[in-house]
Amino acid sequence: MLSQLLASAADGIVLAAIIAVAAMGFTLQFGLTNVLNLSFGSVMTIGGFTAYLANVAGLSAWLGMLLGGVAGGLATIALGRGVLRLYARRRTQLFEMMMVTLGLSLVIDYGLQSISQNAIYGYTVLQASPVRLGPIVLTPIQLFIVLLAIVILVVVEAALKFTKLGKALRATAVEPSLARSCGIQTGRVVLITWTISGFLCGLAGVVYIISTQSVDYSTGELFLPLIIAAAILGGVGSLRGAVVAAVVMGIVTEVVAGFGGAAYSTVAGFAILVVVLLLRPGSVSGGAEDRQLVL
Amino acid sequence: MTTRKLTMLGALAALSALVAACGSTTTSSSKGPLVVGGVIAITGTSSFEGSNQSEGLLPAIYEINHNGGVMGHQLAYKGVDTRGDPADALPAVQQMLATTSNLVAVAGPGTASAPTIVPVLNSAHIPMMAVAGESAYNRSPYKYFWRLFPPDSANGTAMALWAKQKGYTRVAAVFGSDAGSQGDLPGVLASLQALHVNVVANISLTPDQSSYQSSVNQLIAAHPDVIMTESDAGTAGTFFGELKSLAGLVPIIGTEATYTTPWLTAVQGALGASDFHKYFTAMITAPSKVTQAVTAWNNAVKEDHSQLPVSISSAQNNPFAVTYYDGMIATALAMVAAKSTNPVVFNSYIAKVCNPGSGKTVVYTYAQGVKALNAGKQIQYFGATGLINFDKYHNSYGNQEAVTSSASGNTVSLGQVTVAAIEAVPVKGVA
Repeated sequence: MLSQLLASAADGIVLAAIIAVAAMGFTLQFGLTNVLNLSFGSVMTIGGFTAYLANVAGLSAWLGMLLGGVAGGLATIALGRGVLRLYARRRTQLFEMMMVTLGLSLVIDYGLQSISQNAIYGYTVLQASPVRLGPIVLTPIQLFIVLLAIVILVVVEAALKFTKLGKALRATAVEPSLARSCGIQTGRVVLITWTISGFLCGLAGVVYIISTQSVDYSTGELFLPLIIAAAILGGVGSLRGAVVAAVVMGIVTEVVAGFGGAAYSTVAGFAILVVVLLLRPGSVSGGAEDRQLVL
Repeated sequence: MTTRKLTMLGALAALSALVAACGSTTTSSSKGPLVVGGVIAITGTSSFEGSNQSEGLLPAIYEINHNGGVMGHQLAYKGVDTRGDPADALPAVQQMLATTSNLVAVAGPGTASAPTIVPVLNSAHIPMMAVAGESAYNRSPYKYFWRLFPPDSANGTAMALWAKQKGYTRVAAVFGSDAGSQGDLPGVLASLQALHVNVVANISLTPDQSSYQSSVNQLIAAHPDVIMTESDAGTAGTFFGELKSLAGLVPIIGTEATYTTPWLTAVQGALGASDFHKYFTAMITAPSKVTQAVTAWNNAVKEDHSQLPVSISSAQNNPFAVTYYDGMIATALAMVAAKSTNPVVFNSYIAKVCNPGSGKTVVYTYAQGVKALNAGKQIQYFGATGLINFDKYHNSYGNQEAVTSSASGNTVSLGQVTVAAIEAVPVKGVA
């Protein structure tokens, strides 16, 4: 019983790390721009496919990971600056903007479906013999993914707290007009945020396909609900909150699966979100209804 | 009554008789195209079902049309996307029925939407060549339901017999939690029980998760010596990839549904070609011996390959595709035999043109069938899947065969399980 619990908890932390990498990017973007970006999953898929193509081209998996992140960053900038900003200038509201991102998501997904001929491509890179620690069995790449999530959390948190850019970003997120009047170039801040969150999104796509060992056009779309759930559960804009929420969801999901309830594992993860929304609705929305788009 | 009125009444009666006669023999007095609906998941996570269908149905339509069509009518394919979900399937099918006046038959539906769609199509008097494997249809009450495909229970029994024959004693059942995959599970479990083979784990996989590590650990703890499985391609790739990484592989026996290009590609990609060929076996409907029907099927695929979503060899080796092909050829021959494109009239002819019988002329292709029927002969269509012999519930299936896929994608036979052996297993609790 204890062995099973430990093994499942370890599996949950791995799952949490995958969710966390994406959720940190999502919450960073959402926290600043107030755009509930439903095309985030599609950009993850772009990152995943980029890494796959890099692998096919003979590049190393590590370089593929970097390229996946870069592709995610470029795609996010293209969407944010090229499309979403045009809608923001026409005074598009939050909900309408969400629908725009949903439309973009469908365009990207079905475009990828057409290009990829609806096939599932194997991506078995960086696989190695597992490491055993009592009942816990993990592969080196899983340990790397956990480490990566921790490093991203520490680096981005530190950047937000101690750098000029981080302070500008936090100021823009809280009150953009005041930040502008204080001389902060909010447009530049938004661009940098798109880039960082897009990079994390693309990187999350690569991490995800390393875990699933395959990529197809719907890869990111299927993972998106977990990312949004973690971002909402952790509190909009809070990196630490997103990570803690990812850990809770990951562990609950895997423990339920480990004790024979695999069919209900995802349901159990989302049940936590439902309970939190029920008990503390205000803490989750964070007054989003009063927010303006910052693009 | 005046002579003029009598003449008018006579003319009216003659016209009515003519219209009635037309109505009883054909749905259309013109030679316009007849529509075959492809009611299946074309998009979504079950879109491989749509691929399976088009790989078989389109070559059949091509062959029929290139041999003069059905009594001068060309056939046209109309895809109706169920997305593998009854909630999407029902409005899509209702729209098809409402807007397609010259609909003569349907290919499908699949397992997930069958409980919703089969009654609707049956009420609309549309013959359907279903690929729903549920045992509920083993004794189907639906007159317009036809199944040229083994029920899941037969496939499961064949898998259990194969495991027993190979000496496996500890079986782990690893099935997706989706309706299509779960449909096969009861047959597998009941058959293993009937054959006194120990089931050490019964693991359900929720599709499209990022990891199945807990399930893999559960499997490892059970120490199986073989895995029986069905799930969607992505799920299988992730699960077996993780299994290989964490503990190494044991032999895997897949249901017929695993023997499709997306599944084979995903799992082979995850395991690597060498391990895949070493460990994987699928239980499928035994391919027919090479007859003229098989040659015609292969040629139709080659000639129509530009319309197909996969390579020629993938389509030719797809057990689902060839089933659709035979279903369409049999339906078209039934129309010719009945001299009608009205489903109410030709539906019963589907069995008549396929089942063996004394004095029947055996035909292997659509062209041969039409020629024999036009010569006034009764025919038996011997299909590319082999002998077709519908029972009174409109089910027909043959022997099962254990196969694997070679590196080049060709089917390699490992041995057969006969219908007699399957029917001899005293399976309880499954219809």
